[in-house]
Amino acid sequence: MNQFTFEGKTKTMLLGGIVLGVVSMLLSYFMGGEIANTRFWSNFLHNSLFFLGIAFMAMFAMSVWITAWSGWFVMGKRVFEAISMFTGVGLLLMLIIAIGNYAGFHHLYHWNDLEAVAHDKVLQGKSPFLNRNSYMIFTVLFGGMWWWMTMKIRKDSVDEDKNGRFGDFKHMFRQRTWAAAFLAISGYTSAIVIWLWLMSVDAHWYSTLYAWYVGASWWVTMIAFSILIIIYLKSKGGLPNLNEDVIHDLGKFLFGFSIFWTYLWFSQYMLIWYGNVGEETSYFWTRAHGYKFLFRLILVLNFPLPFLVLMKNSNKRKMGTLIFTSIVVIIGHWLDFFLMVKPGVRQTAEHLLHASGEHEAAGHEVVEHTIPFLSGFSLPGFLEIGTFIGFLSLFLYVVFASLAKADLEPSHDPFIEEAKHHHV
Amino acid sequence: MKTKKNILFGLYDDEQDLLKAVKVSNERGLKIMDVYSPFPIHGLDPLLGLKESRLHIAGFIFGTLGALTGFLFMSWVFKIDWPNVFGGKPLWPIPAFIPVTFELTVLFAGVGMVVTYFIINGLSMKAETEVLHDRISDDKFCIAFDVTGNASDNASTFESFLNETGATYVETKEMSDL
Repeated sequence: MNQFTFEGKTKTMLLGGIVLGVVSMLLSYFMGGEIANTRFWSNFLHNSLFFLGIAFMAMFAMSVWITAWSGWFVMGKRVFEAISMFTGVGLLLMLIIAIGNYAGFHHLYHWNDLEAVAHDKVLQGKSPFLNRNSYMIFTVLFGGMWWWMTMKIRKDSVDEDKNGRFGDFKHMFRQRTWAAAFLAISGYTSAIVIWLWLMSVDAHWYSTLYAWYVGASWWVTMIAFSILIIIYLKSKGGLPNLNEDVIHDLGKFLFGFSIFWTYLWFSQYMLIWYGNVGEETSYFWTRAHGYKFLFRLILVLNFPLPFLVLMKNSNKRKMGTLIFTSIVVIIGHWLDFFLMVKPGVRQTAEHLLHASGEHEAAGHEVVEHTIPFLSGFSLPGFLEIGTFIGFLSLFLYVVFASLAKADLEPSHDPFIEEAKHHHV
Repeated sequence: MKTKKNILFGLYDDEQDLLKAVKVSNERGLKIMDVYSPFPIHGLDPLLGLKESRLHIAGFIFGTLGALTGFLFMSWVFKIDWPNVFGGKPLWPIPAFIPVTFELTVLFAGVGMVVTYFIINGLSMKAETEVLHDRISDDKFCIAFDVTGNASDNASTFESFLNETGATYVETKEMSDL
């Protein structure tokens, strides 16, 4: 089977998932309560970012591998291409949030509340960067650039199937040019948009490591998804020439980058904990005290579990083990993003509620010492899970639809023979 | 004192020739004593029926030992033996211990595996190893058969196998070390 057909049960199931997601989002929007609006929008931001990042990382990974002349991934190249095709959809979702900054759909970002910024020295200082216009410009410009280059490589790769010939390296060199350009550009641009999209939900706080940390999270999740999709395709009889060793390599990536993520997590935590500067510790103080369970669960799911399970060589070749670890890691990093988004958004929302309330005394510097449980913020509730399933289905729908548009095996790639005989 | 062995070996010019030869020997059921190569050959281990090395189990054990040593020692020093307040941190500042614990894990695992490897293979500074042929550490690939005490027709089976599969040089040597 060299052509994946996307129809029947899988399609119906994914459409059902999307409907479930839409219902969950509508419910969270109309649920009422003073913070419901924020719950809806923070779920929206959380999931859009999560899946957009996975798509971005698929493109980034392909660029790294193409630039490094690697042949091993070529047999599964179409899977990474298909994942990267979600970039367009993800950017549209982020565009809704960027428009929402102007239209006042949501109160996700403290810096977008001009009233608050006027009384806030720190936010004033950051306002040349943290403002609606730069959010919009960077989202459109950088995101557009990613999408454009992703499309270039994808089109060229599909074209290679038709017009490529053995011994003709035209397509390969063209793709290499785009890949190298993307690497140079995406390194800087991804950091900038991560600051805007994600780090600025805690508008007063910043960490120089943050973009790396988020990127590592995306990378690990992308690898987990690619493993799951490749195993799924193989179970349907696709990619017969993709051998066990390629999956083994992906398992190594999952293992190695789980450690890398932990390294970054710890580096960020350790420096802030040791430095003990109030404006820096607030980020971890909030999470370690108000979100105790999640704070610990994320570490367990994303480090000791993949580390111990995938440590043994032969475990990286067992499909069941890989499926289990991939699913755990995806859930773990989804929760990680949950914990990156929610506490900051919640503080902003509560701040707004208090600011619009009767007493606006010297209450700006008040530090709340207890963070009460709030469903959908302290822990993911059913609506969050429903929203996640919705976005997941949308993501997989786009991926499978893209997979069905081209041959699964890039038959004219110069590295195809090497990939066929890949051996570790 | 080790017993002397008669080794029949053939040298090949290319590792692909050697891989093909090993496949042929498997088909014919010839028992290869060992294969020598200047570099690791992809796909050779399963053909020879070699099991996965257990060295990494030693690595895991040494690593765990290192982690425990580092963590427990620091805990004992700073919590029990000489409690002191540093920079307003708690007496048992776990995050501060993690880098050192990590380093000791790596150190113990690394050194432990090297030492284990040396002991298991009988390598020491005074160890002397006889080599079948000088060029197996340079550019030749070697298949060796143990022909000690074998009937002469058995040895000739091996010899004709080596010649058939493209060995460029065949010799029998008496070795005490292999």
